[in-house]
Amino acid sequence: MSDITLLLEAVGRGEGKASEELLPLVYDELRHLAATRMAQEAPGQTLQPTALVHEAWLRLVSEGDRTWNNRVHFFRAAAQAMRRILVDRARHKSSLKCGGNQKRVVIDDLELPVVSPDEKILMIDNALERLEEEDEESARVITLKFFGGLTNNQIAGTLGVTERTVERRWAYAKAALFEIIQHEL
Amino acid sequence: MTHSNQIEKALFEAARNVVDPDARRALLDHVCNGDDTLRARLERLLAAQEPAEDFFEVRSSAAFASERVKTGFTTLPLNRTATDLVGDPLQKSDSTVWEGPNATIGRYRLLQRLGEGGCGVVYLAEQKEPVRRRVALKIIRLGMDTENVIARFEMERQALALMDHPNIAHVLDAGATETGRPYFVMELVRGVKITDYCDKNHLDTRQRLELFIQVCHAIQHAHQKGVIHRDIKPSNILVTLHDNAPVPKVIDFGIAKATEGRLTYNTVFTAFGQFVGTPAYMSPEQASASGMDVDTRSDIYSLGVLLYELLTGRTPFENKQLVQSGLEEMQRTLRDKEPPRPSTMVTTLQTDVLTMTALQRHTEPPKLVSALKGDLDWIVMKALEKDRQRRYETANGLAMDVERCLNNEPILARPPSQFYRLQKLVRRNTITFAAGAAVGVALILGFGTSTWLFFKERESRQAAELGRANEVILRRQAEAREKFTQAAVLVGEGRYPDADRIVEKITFPESSLEGEAVFRPLGEWAALQGHWEKAAGLLSSLVQVDQVEMGTIATLDYTRCAVALVENEDKEGYELFRRAAVKHFADRTDPLVAERTVKNCLMLPADGQMLTSLAPLADIAARSIEKPDSASGNEAWMLPWRCVSLALMDYRRKNYDSAIRWSRQCLSYGNDNPARTATIRAILAMALYSHGQADDARSELAQSQQSIEDKLKDSPDLGNGDKGFWFDWVLARILLREASALMGAPSPVLPAASNSRPE
Repeated sequence: MSDITLLLEAVGRGEGKASEELLPLVYDELRHLAATRMAQEAPGQTLQPTALVHEAWLRLVSEGDRTWNNRVHFFRAAAQAMRRILVDRARHKSSLKCGGNQKRVVIDDLELPVVSPDEKILMIDNALERLEEEDEESARVITLKFFGGLTNNQIAGTLGVTERTVERRWAYAKAALFEIIQHEL
Repeated sequence: MTHSNQIEKALFEAARNVVDPDARRALLDHVCNGDDTLRARLERLLAAQEPAEDFFEVRSSAAFASERVKTGFTTLPLNRTATDLVGDPLQKSDSTVWEGPNATIGRYRLLQRLGEGGCGVVYLAEQKEPVRRRVALKIIRLGMDTENVIARFEMERQALALMDHPNIAHVLDAGATETGRPYFVMELVRGVKITDYCDKNHLDTRQRLELFIQVCHAIQHAHQKGVIHRDIKPSNILVTLHDNAPVPKVIDFGIAKATEGRLTYNTVFTAFGQFVGTPAYMSPEQASASGMDVDTRSDIYSLGVLLYELLTGRTPFENKQLVQSGLEEMQRTLRDKEPPRPSTMVTTLQTDVLTMTALQRHTEPPKLVSALKGDLDWIVMKALEKDRQRRYETANGLAMDVERCLNNEPILARPPSQFYRLQKLVRRNTITFAAGAAVGVALILGFGTSTWLFFKERESRQAAELGRANEVILRRQAEAREKFTQAAVLVGEGRYPDADRIVEKITFPESSLEGEAVFRPLGEWAALQGHWEKAAGLLSSLVQVDQVEMGTIATLDYTRCAVALVENEDKEGYELFRRAAVKHFADRTDPLVAERTVKNCLMLPADGQMLTSLAPLADIAARSIEKPDSASGNEAWMLPWRCVSLALMDYRRKNYDSAIRWSRQCLSYGNDNPARTATIRAILAMALYSHGQADDARSELAQSQQSIEDKLKDSPDLGNGDKGFWFDWVLARILLREASALMGAPSPVLPAASNSRPE
């Protein structure tokens, strides 16, 4: 059994330290995968977090160990890791843009701005940090869903609530986060 | 996370489900109750929904689907009959099923293969004894006889055997072959597809609706037996003639049920890349790959499509188009695209097609359009709602609306608005309790202590929700849901006694906002009337609903329930209640929840065990006052109430000094909330008296009593957070009664009921 699988099972047993150790491992793997992916793909292509996370899952955990529980813990960690990776990448890309030439996007009365995926990620990450301060519950759903690509069903399993509750939280979280984004700009 | 945050979320959820702008405005008016900040915030959030949706664009994970293929997860192919299979590619891989001509199984001789799906194949067979007739025999597919699949097959057979309805094909027999392959035998239905029958015989709209109603009844019957069809479409509804009258029969029941297959690339496209199935009839949730489970309302959707086709000759989305566009596009269409209304659809047809369509309905184009416009449009569209909560709850509900339409009565499906969910909140404010109002309710026996079995049921309910495949639950849900719809409609119309009568018959509470929508207003209505037994029963059901939903906003519902139980003089019930409540909230760290739980559990004197279990919660509450900079919700309005709980706790613990101190601290915050003041004075009175300061105690008692008596002069109303909710006043009264008894004061003229009990 790989290190990661052992850690996943430890997390499942409720051993606190395990999740601290799990995250860096998952993060490393995802970053490695992302780098490989980027090298292969055409320039300008955006990363698909969902696909990456799934691929990492398949690579790191062998078929016999792909239990529901392990999956849930893995994806939770992966969502957090994915967020960091995407944000770092987006920051890197945006810092490459010429200094004063950044498009200043105005959100006017609910009209959708034209935003590149990277800008979007940064905006979301920024807003998410704010949201985390007041409303951890909503922030968690967003991380799991947007960065981790989990389905409502899986999120329900992770959080120990019903799918309906997840739907409700997601609906609210989206609106709340978007609200923050609007205020920021 | 703050308390107000939770409120905001709950209100957001309630408001966002109300589509009608006027209705939504009214709702916001009511719930915000002058709180402009809250109102502005909610409006902004609601407005942010659409752009947020676009912004996030969460795609269904194609990667997920491909992962299933990689890991070799075998999902059983969806049931489709042979007529649907394009080129019937499955047959090739399954060559061993056909056991040769004249094969016999038991007393049945196989004649011809009719179709297949799920884990079985259906044959036309001939029965020799005791009666010679033709039947349909379904046998489990070769190679599928693992324990699991056999168990499922057996479940299906049993589910089918449960059904006994003239419009459903019957199960006649069951058995197993020598090699152990199970099979069962069904009534052979010789008939024509319902759509063909109607077209060929030029049935007019009315006649078609009448047939449709029968189909709905059949589906309803099945739902009540806990069986979802999952594959309702014209080829599964055959019309036979019985005494010259057309009788629709639903076939292929339960076949789809046994497969539990989800729509992914693996299952939907065969090895040959062809699409298997009829997506035009699939509900959005069936088509989604996100794993949303399918329930009876999925069948309602398919019934909607059937109705659509019967009326217009077309399905809302063209099957061919859906198939050709590929899985993702198909899902998106079903999920997001609004189909044209039947009347609109008909007008977009080409002239000759339109003429033909009208002819098949024994009418002319203009007449057809006008027949469809209005009520029928609404009915169909309601059944086709993307959000399954907005569809008809039951097949019978759909049938009833169609009947109303036929009888020119007003239908329920008018503009799509969650009217009952809203109105319960709006109407609440406009209820008058004039004596002599039509409260002709016989006080039927309330729920009493049997209510507490609900707490046990909670566990099984949660298991069912996670487990998903429990037929009994499904059945009771279908029943309960229907009753709830009726009750909710009545609540919305302000017809409380009628609603109440229906709710009483429900033994399995619906855990959902709909349940909340009924239990709270009815419970409060009963409480304001002084019908404590009824109130106790209803509010305890509400608490049960809250437990499954797991929100902290529930703490006030516990208060509602607690006071009702005490006023109903149900000591046993209250004891059970508080034990369950303290267990439920045992590990909460939110001081608001902690404080309220303490209060809810100490309305009557408590034993050592109860006090011990409440101690940690009391500590949390106390600490939150001592450390005002702690993050979790120390809004000013909460502190005085917190003192009340702590005073009560200390009084019960016999720490009179402490109780007196907390009481005085509470009073130091001012008398903005008379209910709270009356409450704390009663507690203070008891503490002072027990501490040996009888004169001061009597003074406090008198003030409390005066305040409560003054309040009773007004007619009962629900109250509010600022001046005290109705249950705050009831608590004050409860404690006042205890204080009076303690001090041997003349028993105050305070009956257990309010002063407006109608006779």
